Amino acid sequence: MEKPCAIVGGGLASLVAYATLRKGGLEPAEIAVFGKDPDPAADFRRRAGAIRQRAMRSESDGHAAAASWPGLAVRTAIRRRSPLPLVASVADRYHPSVAEFLDHVAEVRGHTGWDESFSRSRIDRVRAVEGGFELDGHGVFRHVLLAPGHPGLAFPPELSGDPRAVHAYEPHEYTDHVVVLGAGMAAATEWLNALAAGASVVSVRRREPERRPLNLPRTLFTRRGLAGFHRTPAAERVGFLRRWSMPSYPTGRAWDDPVERARGQGRFRIATELNGAGQVICATGFKRGFANDRLLARLVADHGLETAEDWIVLDPDSTVPALTDSSRTLSLAGVPGQWAFPAADTLAGAKYAARRFLSRVKACPTR
Amino acid sequence: MSYTLRGRIESRLAAALAPLLAATGLALVLRDWWPFELAGLMIGIGLAADLAYHRLLPYQPGWLAVPLGVAELGLVMLAAWAAAVEASLGAALAFYSGSWLLAQILGHAIFPLARLTYAEDGGELGRLGAVTGAAVVGVFVGGGTIAWATQPPTVHLEAGVHRGPLVLDSPQKLVGEPGAVVTGGIIISSNSVTVRDVTVVGGENGIAVDEAEDVVLDRVRISGAVLDGINVRRSSIEIRNCLVHSPAGEYAQGIDISFSLDVGPSVVERCTVLGGREGIVTHSATVSVRENRVAETTLRGIAMTEMSMGSIEENEVSDTLGVGIYCGDYSHCVIEENSVWNTAPDHLSGDRTRRGYAILAHFGADAELRDNHVSRSPGGIAAFLGAEIEPAED
Repeated sequence: MEKPCAIVGGGLASLVAYATLRKGGLEPAEIAVFGKDPDPAADFRRRAGAIRQRAMRSESDGHAAAASWPGLAVRTAIRRRSPLPLVASVADRYHPSVAEFLDHVAEVRGHTGWDESFSRSRIDRVRAVEGGFELDGHGVFRHVLLAPGHPGLAFPPELSGDPRAVHAYEPHEYTDHVVVLGAGMAAATEWLNALAAGASVVSVRRREPERRPLNLPRTLFTRRGLAGFHRTPAAERVGFLRRWSMPSYPTGRAWDDPVERARGQGRFRIATELNGAGQVICATGFKRGFANDRLLARLVADHGLETAEDWIVLDPDSTVPALTDSSRTLSLAGVPGQWAFPAADTLAGAKYAARRFLSRVKACPTR
Repeated sequence: MSYTLRGRIESRLAAALAPLLAATGLALVLRDWWPFELAGLMIGIGLAADLAYHRLLPYQPGWLAVPLGVAELGLVMLAAWAAAVEASLGAALAFYSGSWLLAQILGHAIFPLARLTYAEDGGELGRLGAVTGAAVVGVFVGGGTIAWATQPPTVHLEAGVHRGPLVLDSPQKLVGEPGAVVTGGIIISSNSVTVRDVTVVGGENGIAVDEAEDVVLDRVRISGAVLDGINVRRSSIEIRNCLVHSPAGEYAQGIDISFSLDVGPSVVERCTVLGGREGIVTHSATVSVRENRVAETTLRGIAMTEMSMGSIEENEVSDTLGVGIYCGDYSHCVIEENSVWNTAPDHLSGDRTRRGYAILAHFGADAELRDNHVSRSPGGIAAFLGAEIEPAED
């Protein structure tokens, strides 16, 4: 066993885990990263570009570095020599631009030595073996963090093959009449994009979106809210996760004013059914559930792991209980980690899993 | 951040450890326990506030630290006043502000760097929290024990009339219960004496302090003294919130602090002095005279003379005869933000330096004036016999 730690997945959650392990004292030679693209921001960059996202929903501490401080507001304030980002941050109104975030990701990638540990490899199977986990012919690792990312874009089956339909996270332009399906952050961004491009917009939604600054209520990002969540019985927890997965986007005039203006001009309306518009943008997010991810589905099947509907049951520290003990760790980060941390698909969620993974690694006597 | 209750308490105690240690050290050096008492109040009120915050604030945005800090400051000041903590306002504010700033730096930068899961754990510090919490308790117990052992005894003066003069010749706190009256005066000849809430009637001097340091007179009421209401010689003293009135002798004065240049500075603040020849007077002493009300004097309202040094600030001087505020005989005085009105000319004296001057510098004295308000005083502001007033815009 050459390296004690492996990270499966090459996205932002993996970079966060890598930076955390490095902060914890592990050398690049002690960590293997398996992914399809050496740029950890590749997927994010493509999706953000597709919906023309300019600002992050996350705040100052939505970054990829290991420690919360200094956050992006501090870094931006220093770079711009202005206290304004700090003032905005203490009022929870600082949202870094996508460009700033991507620069930061590149910086973390550079200074952590990510590329030294990265292998362009696809891992389709993880098997528990004596003293660790065998990764699809790439060796045995004592501590493994799986961050496979979202299992693919969710596309309404009734629109499959329809030439009018495009997913929001795929490159597209806007026709004169646009239907936007969905009501989350991506949908709201698309309303504004299409309106700014001069289109008229029909928002097709099955329910009214919730309005909140972050993906989830803030208490669920700390032990204060998590303690109760972790005590909740499985069936109830599934209900919570489903409810919290409902679409939401932030409050604020920047979101509301353009829509209200367009509504007044007859260029924006809400509908519950698709009509005959020339373009349908599906802001319908991602497929959900471990069963849609080949690696996770096999992991569950091979090892008979406990599941609860779409979720693999995890311990509060985001580890798979049946496959984790004092000598080895299997941890899930990113969206599959929701059983431990409901906002697992955020940067905060990636940090949550990564920090607990590091604790496990450091506590292991035979690291 | 969304703090857990434990997180709030651990963060609070960890951030308070350094100020508490500093306060304890300062108290030991100064041999004065107000820093320790202030730190104790700050921590106690902070912990009580944390219980309320926990219920009221499931999430606390960063900006809220400022109003909460101000509110806690108000509670600490109120508690310090109620508990009669003998801290100067400036020192107390500086201590509180420094501690608050340190807590912000620790909470926002140092703790998250030292413990990666600090934010997710709702401010909990794990083993560090337990250690710092125990350290805070340890410092409190240790410091409190030393403070208790070194505090001068407190003597309670029962309500009723006590025949004087009382002689205080050892360190002690004399605290009067409501209605406690001493006739014939009090004589203080020891260091570290505090007299609080006592009424003194009669006596040659109401309270005489001789060759003593670290003396505090707080909320004393003096009347009917033959010479001085409060007479201080070769001593350093803090006189606060006093009332001196109804002098019994023709030459009686309100407060006289003299011949104390070679000991520490003295303070007279928030006192009311009514009647007498001079209301508050210093000779060869370093004194800060501030926020007092002086009225109805027959020689001068406030006088700083015979090479005294000090400040006369934010006092109200009214209805005096001849001179309101006086800086004389090579003294150096900073006179600012005082209000002086109704200074009557003393025609009977025939002295042309007593023609109703609100502020007067005399005989080589050097007076710096700023932002004083003078009215109904025909002499206005003037300098005689080589004295200088600067700047002269008042």
